[in-house]
Amino acid sequence: MAKAEIVAMILAGGQGSRLGVLTKNIAKPAVPFGSRYRIIDFPLSNCSNSGIETVGVLSQYQPLALNTYVGNGHPWDLDRNNGGAFILPPYLRSGKSDWYKGTANAIFQNRDFLDDCGAKLIIVLSGDHIYKMNYAKMIREHVDRGADATLAVIEVPWEETSRFGILDTGPGDEITAFIEKPKKAKSNLASMGVYVFSWPVLREILVEDEENPNSDNDFGKDIVPLMLSKSMHLIAYRFSGYWKDVGTIASLWECNMDLLDRPEELNLIDRNWRIYSRNPIKPSNFISEDATVSMSAMTDGCQVYGTVQHSVLSDSVTVEKGAVVIDSVLLPGVTVQSGAYLDKCIVGFGTIIGPNVKAGASVSGESPYINTRICSEGIVVIEKGLKIKENAIIPANSQVDCDIKTNESENVIEETFRV
Amino acid sequence: MFLDAMGLILADNHKISLGELSKPRALAAIPFGGRYRIIDYMLSCMVNSGIKSVGILTLNKYKSLMDHLGTGASWDLDRKNFGLHILPPYVNSESTSTEDGEEMAGLLDFIRSNRSEYIILANSNIVINTTFNDFIEVLKSSGADMTVMYNRDGTKHGSPNFIFETDKKRMITDVLFNPEKTKSNRCCIGVIALKRTLLIDLISEMMSHGDRNFGIYSLLKKFDTMKIRAYEYKGLVLRINNIQTYFNASMQLLDDRVRADLFWKGTPVFTKVKDEAPTLYYDACDVKNALVSDGCRIMGQVENSILFRGVTVSKNSTVRNSVIMQDVHISDNCVLDHVILDKNAVIRPGTQLVGHNDYPVVIDKGAIV
Repeated sequence: MAKAEIVAMILAGGQGSRLGVLTKNIAKPAVPFGSRYRIIDFPLSNCSNSGIETVGVLSQYQPLALNTYVGNGHPWDLDRNNGGAFILPPYLRSGKSDWYKGTANAIFQNRDFLDDCGAKLIIVLSGDHIYKMNYAKMIREHVDRGADATLAVIEVPWEETSRFGILDTGPGDEITAFIEKPKKAKSNLASMGVYVFSWPVLREILVEDEENPNSDNDFGKDIVPLMLSKSMHLIAYRFSGYWKDVGTIASLWECNMDLLDRPEELNLIDRNWRIYSRNPIKPSNFISEDATVSMSAMTDGCQVYGTVQHSVLSDSVTVEKGAVVIDSVLLPGVTVQSGAYLDKCIVGFGTIIGPNVKAGASVSGESPYINTRICSEGIVVIEKGLKIKENAIIPANSQVDCDIKTNESENVIEETFRV
Repeated sequence: MFLDAMGLILADNHKISLGELSKPRALAAIPFGGRYRIIDYMLSCMVNSGIKSVGILTLNKYKSLMDHLGTGASWDLDRKNFGLHILPPYVNSESTSTEDGEEMAGLLDFIRSNRSEYIILANSNIVINTTFNDFIEVLKSSGADMTVMYNRDGTKHGSPNFIFETDKKRMITDVLFNPEKTKSNRCCIGVIALKRTLLIDLISEMMSHGDRNFGIYSLLKKFDTMKIRAYEYKGLVLRINNIQTYFNASMQLLDDRVRADLFWKGTPVFTKVKDEAPTLYYDACDVKNALVSDGCRIMGQVENSILFRGVTVSKNSTVRNSVIMQDVHISDNCVLDHVILDKNAVIRPGTQLVGHNDYPVVIDKGAIV
């Protein structure tokens, strides 16, 4: 077994149900983001760039795509002889065994892994945030101040505090309370879901938490309050820079658009802190004689013959002549056929948008696909692996899902295929 | 599927010079097609055929080639058994020159240490996407000593150009070097297959005769004593023999049919991964008919051009009919037409560089203009 004093554990098992059909068959961390990345590329690259070489990826929900994507960790330089990337799914034991019940339980179930590594410190990360962060600095502060736990925090606008886990702090950024989504916050320091723990301390707390039948085994809800109740030394580590939770359709869309409107904030071209990803092995992107492209991001394998404005195209996307794509996010392998019009759409892997389809925020009308629980701000989400019928109309806030039963006249799906 | 063959790529060719582009690097390491080096195409053909052992024979200037190939991981050639071997000139401890054909001795050692039945020998001035399985089958079934690839491009690609004449059984009866008049349009592609043991014999024989010009063409000259079967390849082949053909071949990539044959046949072209950010097209950009790679930032006008990774085209600048290599920075208010800019070149604000279709301007690696 590899030895490592510092081990990162990425919580990648959540379903991400607020992303609707985008996470129907794949775990949220494996959802494509920002043209050539998957969400999990950010924590993995941050680990690699911070010098953390032993990384556990805790997968549970629909793990196939995630597990094959992470593979042996090679794209992130995590194919190490000593350490490297480890996929850690829940497993059957001879005694009591269970799925990962909560974030803390997932770590608890992997205590043997951490013990065998000889871990002294662990950093717990979530697989659903977009940010660039040097974890080494945070870990140094944790060690220098002799903390039992250190939580990364970011200042959020006061009016948004009710969406986050908020930390109240005393002098020296000593944490005094953790309040999940407070109605009236006393602080605007939101937890970023990045925790550093001294492993022997956390291990005891996890064992105690497991014995409490009323616990949800969650870091924010249970573990941090339990540590505070024991007067342990918890500190907040202030982070400033770009950080975004991409847990909802609206925030995923916004975060993609930030790459176009404010590219300097996440600064993906910074060669001192590259974000690595698995390469699709496709040629450079091609913009034809007939194409019009502006304010857009593209990557290998894209072929544009139509109009693309203010959009993010993943690899191998084709936009045919006469098609118009505005304010949209097209995931790998999407084809937009001639005469189609998309605005504010997120289209899943390999879906073919048929000729003259109209879909998006500016399209009005009634449709059985309208789903305001998942979609907001007019955004239309289309599932992967679909062929959308010629001339179909898909109005604002629709989620095109092949499992929705409709009558023939309202059905926009011509066929479904495996991608 | 399983192909019992090894590959050998000749990274240099003393008959070919690309001027400024081949000054700092081997022919095989010249960037071509946005995110590739010329060798990527042949290396990928071999890997896609199922070949798991490839030697790259280099003469000099191999630093850039070695940087690019690394352990061979990008081509899945980082293997415990065989894999990728770069074969620089073999200089033993007692001699400091390679005068006595010692690079061939090193090559011979490498070929002897392999166990494959067949060997595919290829030049590195060709851009192609194919597999060699059928090519080897023809060698087996025709009873020939060697097979060599050709297409019917005739003499339009400039020197060096080898034209075959063949008999009815497609065995080569004559090989002509840069002929002015010819009956045949069968133009050598520079890929040859033969039994590994036969190649060992041929190289040993050459060494004992003091003949040091080992290459595809020295083997083809054996047509009078050996049976060499010509094999017609009907797909796309781009030959890079000089700056002019390099420029023309680059521009051909803007043709949908050329890209379809080269990149979208299902057999990928592998290259070293750079992890650049996605290409960003800014608000005021105007891009038509261009192949653009990751890490580029386009704020100006780009037309009929190939942009490699990490290129910046600033505001109010125009790039037309040009090949712009990795990490070139083009400042504001520049006009570039028919130019080839090598890696890391910097073009200062307001610069105008205009070449001609038959004579593109070439700017050195790292030059500041």
